[in-house]
Amino acid sequence: MQEKLQAIVAQAKETIHSVSELVHLDEIRVQYLGKKGELTAMMKTLGQLSAEERPKAGQIINEAKQSVQTFLSEKKAELEESILAAKLAGETIDVSLPGRGLDTGGLHPVTRTLRRIETIFSKAGFDVATGPEIEDDWHNFEALNIPETHPARAMHDTFYFDESTVLRTHTSGVQIRTMEDQDAPMRVIAPGRVYRCDSDQTHTPMFHQVEGLIIEENASFAQLRTLIIEFLRQFFEDENLKVRFRPSYFPFTEPSAEVDIATNLFGDGRWIEVLGCGMVHPNVLKNVDVDSEKYTGLAFGLGVERLAMLRYGVTDLRQFFENDLRFLKQFK
Amino acid sequence: MKVSESWLREWVNPEWDTNTLAEELSLAGLEVDGIEPVAPAFTHVVVAKVISVEKHPDADKLNVTQVDIGADEPVQIVCGAKNVVAGMKACCATVGAVLPGDFKIKKAKLRGVPSNGMLCGANELGLPDDGVDGLHVLPDDAPVGTDLREYLDLNDQVIDVDLTPNRADCLSIAGVARDVAAIGHVAFKQPFENVITDKSGDCPQVIDIADAHACPKYLGCIVEDYNTFAQTPIWMKQRLERAGVSPKNLTVDITNYVMLELGQPMHAFDADKLKGNIQVRMARPDEKLMTLEEKELSLTADTLVIADDNGPVALAGIMGGLDSAVSDTTSRLFFECAHFAPLNIIGKARQYGLHTDSSHRFERGVDAFLPEKALERALQLFSEIAGGRISNIVSATNELGLHQPKAIQLRPERIVKLLGVEIDDAEVEGIFERLHFSIEKNASGWALTAPTYRFDMEIEADLIEEVGRVFGYNNLPETEVQAPMRLPTLPESEQELYLVRKALVNRGFHEVITYSFVEEKLQQKMVPEIPHICLQNPISDDMKAMRTTLFPGLLQTISYNQKRQQSRIRIFESGLVFTRHNEQTQQTPMIGGAIVGDLNPANWSGENRPVDFYDLKGDVETLLAMSHVQDKVRFEACEFTIFHPGQSAALVLNGKTVGLMGQLHPGLVKSAGVSGKVYLFQMDLATIMETKVPAAQPISKFPEVQRDLAFVVDATLPVQALLDAINNVQSDILNVVEVFDIYQGEGIDEAQKSIALTLKIQHQDRTLQDEEVDQLVDQVILNAKERVKAELR
Repeated sequence: MQEKLQAIVAQAKETIHSVSELVHLDEIRVQYLGKKGELTAMMKTLGQLSAEERPKAGQIINEAKQSVQTFLSEKKAELEESILAAKLAGETIDVSLPGRGLDTGGLHPVTRTLRRIETIFSKAGFDVATGPEIEDDWHNFEALNIPETHPARAMHDTFYFDESTVLRTHTSGVQIRTMEDQDAPMRVIAPGRVYRCDSDQTHTPMFHQVEGLIIEENASFAQLRTLIIEFLRQFFEDENLKVRFRPSYFPFTEPSAEVDIATNLFGDGRWIEVLGCGMVHPNVLKNVDVDSEKYTGLAFGLGVERLAMLRYGVTDLRQFFENDLRFLKQFK
Repeated sequence: MKVSESWLREWVNPEWDTNTLAEELSLAGLEVDGIEPVAPAFTHVVVAKVISVEKHPDADKLNVTQVDIGADEPVQIVCGAKNVVAGMKACCATVGAVLPGDFKIKKAKLRGVPSNGMLCGANELGLPDDGVDGLHVLPDDAPVGTDLREYLDLNDQVIDVDLTPNRADCLSIAGVARDVAAIGHVAFKQPFENVITDKSGDCPQVIDIADAHACPKYLGCIVEDYNTFAQTPIWMKQRLERAGVSPKNLTVDITNYVMLELGQPMHAFDADKLKGNIQVRMARPDEKLMTLEEKELSLTADTLVIADDNGPVALAGIMGGLDSAVSDTTSRLFFECAHFAPLNIIGKARQYGLHTDSSHRFERGVDAFLPEKALERALQLFSEIAGGRISNIVSATNELGLHQPKAIQLRPERIVKLLGVEIDDAEVEGIFERLHFSIEKNASGWALTAPTYRFDMEIEADLIEEVGRVFGYNNLPETEVQAPMRLPTLPESEQELYLVRKALVNRGFHEVITYSFVEEKLQQKMVPEIPHICLQNPISDDMKAMRTTLFPGLLQTISYNQKRQQSRIRIFESGLVFTRHNEQTQQTPMIGGAIVGDLNPANWSGENRPVDFYDLKGDVETLLAMSHVQDKVRFEACEFTIFHPGQSAALVLNGKTVGLMGQLHPGLVKSAGVSGKVYLFQMDLATIMETKVPAAQPISKFPEVQRDLAFVVDATLPVQALLDAINNVQSDILNVVEVFDIYQGEGIDEAQKSIALTLKIQHQDRTLQDEEVDQLVDQVILNAKERVKAELR
């Protein structure tokens, strides 16, 4: 009987091994282990054996059944796995194809630059103020110590609506509005569009400025210089940035300065002017009822496009307002 | 102001090279815009004399010349210039010379004749155009053999100084030199002696000043019996040219020279052409003046003129008249040297479309005590060059009208407060000494009186700026702003514009920035509903009207990009629009956008379609959803010129229109210069700049019941009307009504449509009973029927 069993198991093993589909595996299970299966039949012959032989024979048959069952399970697992693998292989996609859906747009480089400037200053405790773009003569000129007859008016190339209404030529008017509305001390920046009646390769009739103002009891020109240098170095992320202050003239500040940075944008390390600044003129403080003996003010006005050009390597100012998508997409 | 370096160095000669000098000028507040050499590099060009000229034996157009170049022997040079004549002085490039453009002069043979050098024209040497087709002619007294660069001072550089309006004192070589001396600690020396020229006889010309405030000082004298053939010396011409002033004739050149040298504008009249007294007065009605530039001006009554009995002969301080101008036939001169008050000159030149060196100076201010000196300097130069008989000087002065500097108090503690640096008293005094201030020490500091040319000094801060300027802004210590720390007020309900912009960016929009002024005609055509205002002085006609909406700029941007092969465009802008209401101009912050082309970028899956109204509406709803208005804004069909009448909506919040959107009217596509279906929106920024501060509600633990209903309604009924009808049901348990299908077609009357809705029903505190739900649904159905005649399908 031993031999017969071994033969059956060997036979089963071989048959199972050769199976390639799950259904056949079930047929084989029936053939050996089903009610009429070969091993089941062997079990039925136990009754013919003596009581001493029976347990041993039973054990052997059971072992044989166990073996066949194991072969079946293993084969089943193997077949199932290969079926799943085949199914998954069929589902393979090209993961290198681009994803679906909208692409993202981008902020205008001027907005991006403004945001950077605003962030730097607001983290240092500056409020952000805005003002109207159609401005009256008082806020754009008179209060800033630029009377009608002042030669500096000619520096401004002003757009007029009527004698006393203009498109603001600078954001400095917001300085006045802020000082009219708030009490000293204060720290504020005013970003926005400004307009000059001038249009050529290096001038656009509209551009952006950020005006800054600090009124404190001991604000000094040395502090202004330190603040501006620090700002420029933070803005350009260049702690060795070369900055120089030149005496200049604005009717609303005294002393006044223009600030240049050394740039390699044109390959020659030349000085490029980036902003004007100074100590608020006592007449301006008087115009807004700030005691100029007690308080001093420091003010600055940044040209946003200029900073954007230097920061991002834009060489033509006019590109900012052509809004060519091929240009804008570079600022995503 | 263009400054010849060699001229400047006659006055002040610091040990700085050109670049350092320029740098120091900039750092002193006299900003240098550029440095230009007066001539390009060349070598071995000398002053030469042409000894003889003979025809070339084998060439019609060539001559064979013998030229004295100051060497032992004359050299033979073949020359093709038409103006070559024996005896002339010319510029000769000798063998070995290198001319501009790396042109090397070697021994050569021209048509068989040896030529040892080249006689040069102005253009071959890069000299200013002399108007001669041929050789550049040198004066007869030019010393033969002298290096031309030396003779013409060609190693000079022109430093272009961009002066700020307050530094009119530097509108002269002397003025720049004074500042250089002060900042460079070097001597300031006038390179000529102050000479009082010999005068004989009273000036026959009577001066009559009608307005002594406008003209507080007027000096003049007659010069006659001079050499009318005298020419302007070459050195003077050069200096004029280097300052950007074209030489005219000796008299005019001298007045210009003195203006450049000392800063005092002057004028000379042909004395024989003046009739009667010189009058300095305001123009009379209907008076005209033909200017030197042959432009006839109709004068206004606020214009100060110099006149004779026949009327105006000059615009005071601006420009002379043609009729009394000095010409080749002039033999008697009247020199005018006056002081005009800036207030009477400012704006006048511009009013007449003029800008002259004289008006530039008088507008900004001229030293009121300079005319005497300047006139003598001019007379000195004139008599040296042309001789002549000079009359006594006639003058009219109103002392009260002359700006006499007053003492200004300077307190040391204010220097510290304003500049943030402590500077020794001695150093402060040294600075003002070098600036030629008169200094008087007193209890609280100093009383300082500026020299008469520093009329920009008015207040203490002006003095402190001078201290800072000469001390050096870049020498100030590093010191940080000292200010108390304050925490910001940060209203949570305030939306950040940045986040609004970012929301659009994340939906594929590019931000644009367009001009706030647009073409008036186009705006009129697109948005005639909104009144606008125009600039008085626009750059051009298509930048004249202030935008009343963001649409023109958005459309222009689309047009620009479509012309550059961009077909799928999504853009937005935020900024002010300018509208008129009741004679008032409103400036309102807006955000607007436009889309055109395909919904998705070109892609491999082929899933794409052109954008439509609802795509843009989804973008708009995103913005609304970020704000406190959220679902309170209703989209109501509206008609607006710019939009397709069937595809446009007004965004209405509490009865007020806060935005617009729609498809660009197909009839306007062409005039907008765009193609395809463009969808536009614009929204009042204020509407979405306020957000909701969340107030949390408990989440119901009880199951939500959903009921789907389909209603048949009139095909033209807006869905919103049905939703309004349903939302009119007063119920605590009806949480949400969602539209999930719109159907028109088979099974439904042509004039009707089906709207399918889901009702989401839930009670906060308990499980709902079937009857309650049924009752609610019945109420919904009833409301729909009663209010919008909706029938359950």
